[in-house]
Amino acid sequence: MRNLLDFLYKYHHWLVFILLEVVSVVLLFQYNSYQGSVWFSSASAVAGRVYELESKMTSYLSMAKENEELTMRNLYQERQLDQLRRLYAEATKDTTAAELKELEFLSQYKLIPAKVVENSIHKLENLITIDKGRKDGVEPDMGVACGNGIVGVVYLVSDHYSVVISALNAASSRISCAIRGRGYFGYLHWYGGDPSVAYVEDVPRHAKFKLGEWMVTSGFSSIFPSGVQVGKIEQAYNSSDGLSYKLKVRLSTDFGNVHDVVVISDKSIAERAALMQAARDSISFKQRQ
Amino acid sequence: MVNRLVMFVSLLVAQVLILNHVHFLGVGTPLLYVYFAITFRRNFPKWLVLVSCFLLGLSIDIFSNTPGLAASVMTIAGLAQCYLMNLIAPRDSTADLAASIKALGFSKFATLSALITALYCVLFFALEAFNFFDILMWLARSFVSTVLTMVLILAIESVRSR
Repeated sequence: MRNLLDFLYKYHHWLVFILLEVVSVVLLFQYNSYQGSVWFSSASAVAGRVYELESKMTSYLSMAKENEELTMRNLYQERQLDQLRRLYAEATKDTTAAELKELEFLSQYKLIPAKVVENSIHKLENLITIDKGRKDGVEPDMGVACGNGIVGVVYLVSDHYSVVISALNAASSRISCAIRGRGYFGYLHWYGGDPSVAYVEDVPRHAKFKLGEWMVTSGFSSIFPSGVQVGKIEQAYNSSDGLSYKLKVRLSTDFGNVHDVVVISDKSIAERAALMQAARDSISFKQRQ
Repeated sequence: MVNRLVMFVSLLVAQVLILNHVHFLGVGTPLLYVYFAITFRRNFPKWLVLVSCFLLGLSIDIFSNTPGLAASVMTIAGLAQCYLMNLIAPRDSTADLAASIKALGFSKFATLSALITALYCVLFFALEAFNFFDILMWLARSFVSTVLTMVLILAIESVRSR
């Protein structure tokens, strides 16, 4: 007994070592699962606050450029809207109905403006922290976009902050997107490296498109509404199995310079999710019979 | 003890707010906080070395969304420091020999910190790349980060030892 105690006393630091390693390895692997704890992320109150202060100090420096970009885009969209309204009116001879429809479509979504407090683009698994959380109505799996296009999907939520899986996350980001005006869809995937280039996979071989056309979100994933800008098609390759196209897309969002974003909360998501669940249940029920 | 605490906080702040944003050539990030593990004096209680290294690692993790990654490798670095310090220290030195350029001399301190930093970077990037194992990228990141970290450590240490 005495020997054992002596032994333990002499080598107690090894016991401490093993204990600490076990704790960190548990953290390391637990966080990979979807229910990772908010406490050990940058959405925790202290870390979020520190990053918020830092971002407040640095955001002034890049504001001018961002403003300029947004103004340009605003102008472009105003013109586009104007043109579409005119075309619609010419086609249907009815202007009030178009405006009503537009309002109805927009009221389906609630937009929660937020500021980016921490962001990275050089890792393989990039995450973004924003300064809005559960108390502001943010929930996991909501889409996040900025003035220029998609940003990512909400992953962890604490009371006042959230961690967003950036579209530049090679491990977990798969955003469903489609070719604007043509409807063929695929999944946006980033492989690391250049933060302005990503790939859309699983686009069918019979899809027709031109280089330089826009990719937008498809609206199938119930995370983003359809039509949020993703990027321009730069090149098309055959996939490795030869069954589909892989499109190289120049992303419209400058991930190195995102500061103001909106979280998109879609009231119909819950309804759609419930419907999908019901469908799955009935399929598995039939299979069991 | 107060010294250690000041060092803990300042290394944490420097890493989180500045160094984590450095990506030299797109591969190297200086991991300066390993300096905390290197500079324990020889007869510092081993369990305290381990626990404080673990806590610094964990704090870094919380800020960079990598729970357990820096914590586990920092604990290993702390343990390695306890044993390497005994190996490297001259025989006739005092029991509470400090790990600094002043007490050890430049070459011994440089060896000690190079060994620990290299060990740290190699393990850190191996664990970080767990899912996507690309050996060349792993070696490049470990090497460049080790060099960057060493340059910073030696610069800070030579200022401190004046």
